[in-house]
Amino acid sequence: MKLLTPAVAAVVLAFTATTPIHAQTPEELGLEIVTKANAQDDGFGDSTSSMIMTLVNRSGKKNVRRIRSRVLEVANDGDKSMTIFDEPNDVKGTASLTYSHATEADEQWLYLPALKRVKRISSKNKTGAFMGSEFAFEDIGSQEVEKYTYKHLGEDEIDGVPVHVIESVPAYKYSGYTRLVGYMDKEKLVNVKVEYFDRKNALLKVLTMSGYQQYKDKFWRADKLEMVNKQTGKSTTLEFSDYQFGTGLADKDFSSNALKKIR
Amino acid sequence: MTRSPSISSLLASATALGLLLPVAASAEWSYRGDISLQLQAFTDSAQHSATQSANSSFSGNAEFNRAIGENGDITISPFFRVDQHDDQRTHVDLRELLYRHSFETLEISAGLGKVFWGVAESSNIVDIINQRDAVEGLDAENKLGQPMVNLLLLPDWGEINLYVLPGFRERTFAGKDGRPRAPFVIDTDNAEYEDSSKASHVDFAARINGATNEWDWGISAFSGTGREPLIGVPSLRPFYPQISQFGFDVQGTFDSWLLKLESIYQSGKTIDNHSRFVTGYEYSFYGIADSAIDLGIVHEFLYDDRQQRSGNAFQNDMLLGLRFAFNDEQSTDALVGVIKDLDGGATILTAEANRRIGESFKLTFEAIVWADANNDLILNSFQQEDYVLLELGYFF
Repeated sequence: MKLLTPAVAAVVLAFTATTPIHAQTPEELGLEIVTKANAQDDGFGDSTSSMIMTLVNRSGKKNVRRIRSRVLEVANDGDKSMTIFDEPNDVKGTASLTYSHATEADEQWLYLPALKRVKRISSKNKTGAFMGSEFAFEDIGSQEVEKYTYKHLGEDEIDGVPVHVIESVPAYKYSGYTRLVGYMDKEKLVNVKVEYFDRKNALLKVLTMSGYQQYKDKFWRADKLEMVNKQTGKSTTLEFSDYQFGTGLADKDFSSNALKKIR
Repeated sequence: MTRSPSISSLLASATALGLLLPVAASAEWSYRGDISLQLQAFTDSAQHSATQSANSSFSGNAEFNRAIGENGDITISPFFRVDQHDDQRTHVDLRELLYRHSFETLEISAGLGKVFWGVAESSNIVDIINQRDAVEGLDAENKLGQPMVNLLLLPDWGEINLYVLPGFRERTFAGKDGRPRAPFVIDTDNAEYEDSSKASHVDFAARINGATNEWDWGISAFSGTGREPLIGVPSLRPFYPQISQFGFDVQGTFDSWLLKLESIYQSGKTIDNHSRFVTGYEYSFYGIADSAIDLGIVHEFLYDDRQQRSGNAFQNDMLLGLRFAFNDEQSTDALVGVIKDLDGGATILTAEANRRIGESFKLTFEAIVWADANNDLILNSFQQEDYVLLELGYFF
């Protein structure tokens, strides 16, 4: 690109400042909003949290799992995360370590405490159920902007809250979904509801996120996520607690040695 | 150190379990473990003195851990089993009694420890630190606590582990009233050693491992008392040679493919110098036939260049396993496998299934059939030892 002279630059700036070049397409608007929403979370550094997962089957029978998680923000790539299983007791002490990447395959290890074994596992399984729940691995993984293409479908209201309606199409070829439709709070720029459409483009699951709290005056986190499978009638609720930010976690806390030392 | 439990180790384990259970209820200790009841049924009558067709046993496993000061932590893992028939299988062990001190890029541990090396599923031939508690099961998953001082260095790219191993643990074997076992009983009370310092020989080991985007690798070395005994004929006394072992293991992870290799070179004055490898792949189908079920295929080859002289049942063998994960609320899984001797034609069939019952119980089923073992010297001796096993564990 040729350098502009100051005079020309001033004219160009004045022009672009006053004249809309062209109307923004729904795709551009979708990407812009999601990029902005995602950027809100930049700089969280690291966070830890606890979670109670309740699985409810069609007849209302409940199964409970307890999980802790630790996340480290990685600039310009996916996050590093550790998931520690506390219940049910037969998997107590099991932990997984994931280096997620925006475009390449994620790297993932599993620690089996009875064997003291760290096992590198395939990260291809995005569609599988996380611990038998209604959450697939791809629903709970690190959400990078590059993982989808977007389209702004319009605006709506959910429980009186004005929302952007944005369609996301997974870039990942092994995704279990043709598309997701997210309902994003226009003010907070966080999803309050997501609809998941299966490979036949039929509505599969609906996720509702509630109890948003702001941490460090910046980062929004929901206290409760409820995923309802519209095809099977089963549901899973995640209740989060003990959210902490800036706990001083570093790269060395996300190594295979750190995985072995998890308690 | 003898294999049968001494009064002191029995007391130590009982004390550890007894004292730690209530102590663990305080917030400082984290703990996990199980208490399990196991039933075995043998379908053939034995070729030896143990004539029972059924056996029951009761076992407990626990791991207690707590922080000590800013940078220290201690792990205590007692184990016991009480067996209805086999006095050799009735035993206790401290799998771990290990203090660790962590510095920024360095850790020092001392005590009784448990270490895993390797990547394969059928047999981890590089894995040499701990002796197998072979009376516990035919797989090598159960290990005796190993006395050690371990220095771990943590450079950016991986781990460097150095071990001093003062003291040796003899392998456990089924006793005269135990099943499954070979027609002869190993004379574990009269083990022989190449080195005059016997079980108090000090061994050394090292391992360097790291990972790149696709490859997880490790190289290892060991010098000292070999963990695999040679069985004397006709004395049936285990003989533990002095060996050197160099090992290499690597796993490549590409989408649904896991490619695996473990290889060792072992040498010593009283053994045939030899190489071994285990290589193969694991491939997974996720959500087969539009269900939640995942199917993993495990296919591995085991090779020992000593061939039939090796005393190793897996000198030229193949394992093919199918692993089903049902991904249901009760975490049901099942594994069926066949091990085939590519020289003799001996075949072993195995099956295993697990399912959680309620929140804290787990039911395990296992079956093993030595089919067509006629041509295999080692496997032939187990041909009448087919069994099914049912285990109910309470986990805490």
